[in-house]
Amino acid sequence: MTQQPLVLVIDDEPQILRAVRTILLAKHFRVATASRGEEGLTLAAAQQPEVIILDLSLPDIDGIEVCSRLREWTQVPIIVLSVRDTERDKVAALDRGADDYLTKPFGIEELLARIRVALRHSARAKGSPKPIVTSGALEIDLADFQVRRNGVEVKLTATEFKLLAHLAAHAGRVLTHHAILTAVWGQEYADHVEYLRVYMRQLRKKLEDDPDHPQILTTEPGIGYRFVVEG
Amino acid sequence: MTRHVPHALLRIFYSLLAIAATTALLSLAQPWLSTPTVALLYLLPVGISSALWGLPSGIAAAVAAFLALNFFFLPPYYTLRVLQPQDALELIVFLIVAITISQLLGAVQAALARARAREREARHLNELNSALLGQTDFASICRTIAERIRMTLPGGQVGVILNPDGHSAGAECYLPAEARLRPTRPTISLPIQGMRGLLGELVLWAPPNGISSEEEQLLTTYGLAAALAIERAQLAVAESRARLLAQSDAFKSTLLSSVSHELRSPLATIKASVTSLLSEEVDWDTRARRDLLQAVDEETDHLNLLVGNLLDMTRIEAGYLEPKRNWNVLADIVRSVIARLRNTLDPQRLQIEVSDDLPLIPVDYIQMEQVFVNLLSNSAKYSATGSVIRVTAAPLEGGWLRVQVSNRGPGVPPEDLERIFDKFHRVTASDRVTGIGLGLSICRGIIAAHGGRIWAENTDEGMAFNFTLPLTWEGTAPSLTEIA
Repeated sequence: MTQQPLVLVIDDEPQILRAVRTILLAKHFRVATASRGEEGLTLAAAQQPEVIILDLSLPDIDGIEVCSRLREWTQVPIIVLSVRDTERDKVAALDRGADDYLTKPFGIEELLARIRVALRHSARAKGSPKPIVTSGALEIDLADFQVRRNGVEVKLTATEFKLLAHLAAHAGRVLTHHAILTAVWGQEYADHVEYLRVYMRQLRKKLEDDPDHPQILTTEPGIGYRFVVEG
Repeated sequence: MTRHVPHALLRIFYSLLAIAATTALLSLAQPWLSTPTVALLYLLPVGISSALWGLPSGIAAAVAAFLALNFFFLPPYYTLRVLQPQDALELIVFLIVAITISQLLGAVQAALARARAREREARHLNELNSALLGQTDFASICRTIAERIRMTLPGGQVGVILNPDGHSAGAECYLPAEARLRPTRPTISLPIQGMRGLLGELVLWAPPNGISSEEEQLLTTYGLAAALAIERAQLAVAESRARLLAQSDAFKSTLLSSVSHELRSPLATIKASVTSLLSEEVDWDTRARRDLLQAVDEETDHLNLLVGNLLDMTRIEAGYLEPKRNWNVLADIVRSVIARLRNTLDPQRLQIEVSDDLPLIPVDYIQMEQVFVNLLSNSAKYSATGSVIRVTAAPLEGGWLRVQVSNRGPGVPPEDLERIFDKFHRVTASDRVTGIGLGLSICRGIIAAHGGRIWAENTDEGMAFNFTLPLTWEGTAPSLTEIA
């Protein structure tokens, strides 16, 4: 059996550190903790954690800065955990390399679910890039430009496929409007969220069992979208 | 002053000219005129001179006429000698009459000129005062005064410098703007003196033809008007600051009293549950433990909502509520709100009629979520457990979307329909329903910041909250609405 995954928690509140450590240890993770940004960066380099949980308000350097500095050398999944709940902060953290964002106060189940998604994501990224992404009844063949739902091919326009492929390639991660628009439509469309709205509606109609309650292409309120990989 | 000397000389010259012309005419008509008639006719230019050109010209005309009469019309002609005593008397009487007429007319004229000047001054002052009326910031007061002075003295260059607090944080205005850099000292510099000290300074570089004493007087009057305007503005600022402080004091004390109650009750539940669980005296069974933990979970959500509302209210109060607009799907927003509220609001109660195909709305996603959270929580709180809460949305004529959140509660007394959106206003006594009465007030703040309107109405079934949102953003619709 391989070693249990190591989670590095960087947060300056001792109560949160204690609670998160307790629950993660109970769930058989290994845990390292840091209460300052520099300390967290050092630990990340020394211990090579599988997931980093990062608070944005740190006493020495800002969490967003920690994000950028980690991204200079590692693709380890970063889950931001912060009391800052404005769109601006979330978008800033995600655009600077964070994978996910959870606002305090949070439910521990939610945190555990996000950690699992992050671990799967990083496992996938480490292995050879798989051209086929699946979520529930949906199967996306990135190499063959094919989408199948319950084994039946779904016809998508070129732009729809490009959008879906971009989301699926980053499955589990929150992608900001800005990032998606830039990748799919190009820099000059970066602010045209209406494109995204219209195309996402269209995609959901074609791909979701119940387009009114999307399970695969979920909305991140005010931030962007996420391709959910189930089970 | 400087301008007066050449003018006065010119006027005397005009009056002498008038006498010369009269003399020429009278010489031509001399065969038909008697000497007394000639003397009488000479009074005419004398009077006209005094009336038109003032006392000095009048007197000059009188003396000139006296000499001309003597020289040309009294024998021996072309000398200033007088033969007959009767003629001498006539001459003296003429001189006295001419000078008296000049003096009288000159005095009347001077009085008239003074009256005109006063009237002009009063008019200018009045115009200045009405222009200054209601102005409360120093920069615009400064500008108005400078503009008025410049209107009165078109050729001059003027500067108004205000530093009412005694330091440099005032305002200044130079007209034309390059006057600020003028190296020469101003012709006139007048202090603007207020009740409690120096408020600023008026400086003026005179136009090339100088300024009159009247204009100088007017400038002093402007200085006084400026002082009054500044002091009025200072009072207005002080008063509104005082009112704001009083309001925010009232806000704080209401906030403190309701917050201490509202924050403490969930904390009390949490503390009680947790200490129960920690207690070693009781051996809790799984069910009881779960109930206690459930209470803690619900109360923390409740606390979080409360704190969120408090923060939002503080942002609205401080004017930081700038919506971060983006094109959004209303159905998305409603869905995520329902998901957020699943612990406190049974989804079975909700009847959502918000189509995915409604036009996109340019709103701040997070703020709109907050509006729905507050309206739905409020609807749930004031209607019977299990009764239906309905959300509908439909476009209106003229680019608006109307959203309605209705419940089957008892409704609101008509006089409270407007007031329920006020801070801390609650229809029900505070000990019967939880909440601090900020939710609806926040909704109003957010909807207003989006350019919409929110109102409540009683319906046949209960009551409904309605609000409108613009479907355009800075006047334009989204650039893509449908995939072709």
